[in-house]
Amino acid sequence: MESVTGGITRRALLQVTGTVGLSSLVVPILGHSRRASAQGNPANLVPEEPVDATMKRLFAGRPIKDGASVIKLDAPLIAENGAVVPVMIEVDVPMTAQSYVKAIYVISDKNRRPMNVKFGLTPAMGQAYVGTNLRLGETTDVRAVVEMSDGSLLQTKREVKVTVGGCGG
Amino acid sequence: MTEIGRVRIRLPSAIKAGAIVKARVLVIHPMEIVQRKDGKVVDKNYQFINRVVVSYLDREIGQFETTQSVSENPFFTFAFKATEPGVLRVIFFDTHGGKYEGTADVKLS
Repeated sequence: MESVTGGITRRALLQVTGTVGLSSLVVPILGHSRRASAQGNPANLVPEEPVDATMKRLFAGRPIKDGASVIKLDAPLIAENGAVVPVMIEVDVPMTAQSYVKAIYVISDKNRRPMNVKFGLTPAMGQAYVGTNLRLGETTDVRAVVEMSDGSLLQTKREVKVTVGGCGG
Repeated sequence: MTEIGRVRIRLPSAIKAGAIVKARVLVIHPMEIVQRKDGKVVDKNYQFINRVVVSYLDREIGQFETTQSVSENPFFTFAFKATEPGVLRVIFFDTHGGKYEGTADVKLS
């Protein structure tokens, strides 16, 4: 019994790997490297997706509390040029080694790629204060999601009206 | 585009020891936008900055991950605690393997 199954499975196995196995092996490898090169760094792959999918991908359904009282999100009410929209985020919590702001995500809901910037911070920064210029494709909510060192999440959002889209990507 | 990668860092003129300082940095970079043909994304290696590393006194204090949704010639502000005189270093990495570095001396008054 043992020898029979051994012989059959081995032959079958070789055949299978020779035909199906090889091709199925090659495809994912090729597919992967193509995707990786498309964005340079696979870690920074930013898919086109609705904002809900982005939130799910980044935060995996963890509860996000309203942080309007501690997060100050400064953005223009009306941006004439969507290609350069200055935003500034300040989180009003002390930055100590025990409790600090670990990351600030900037997400614009209606961009085709909602994930914009992730600021990774450390207590050495002394204050959770960051700013940058965004590209916004159209009038959208811009949200700032703050991840604390204990893993809790806070967010606040603000609408920015865009007159000329900046091809947010 | 010969200027690609020029980094400018601006600090306040007077910095007191232990104060929280707001720094502004800018790098000259095209931050290539996604191109589309018939509504589909053109598959190519776009050149944009995807990582920014901030260090002070040779210690990394912040790391930013950026995407193409950041404007051309990216500009960032951040705060840091100026505990002692030293070098503030900001390094930008782009998707084509480019590494652009800028430094500023933190002098205390």
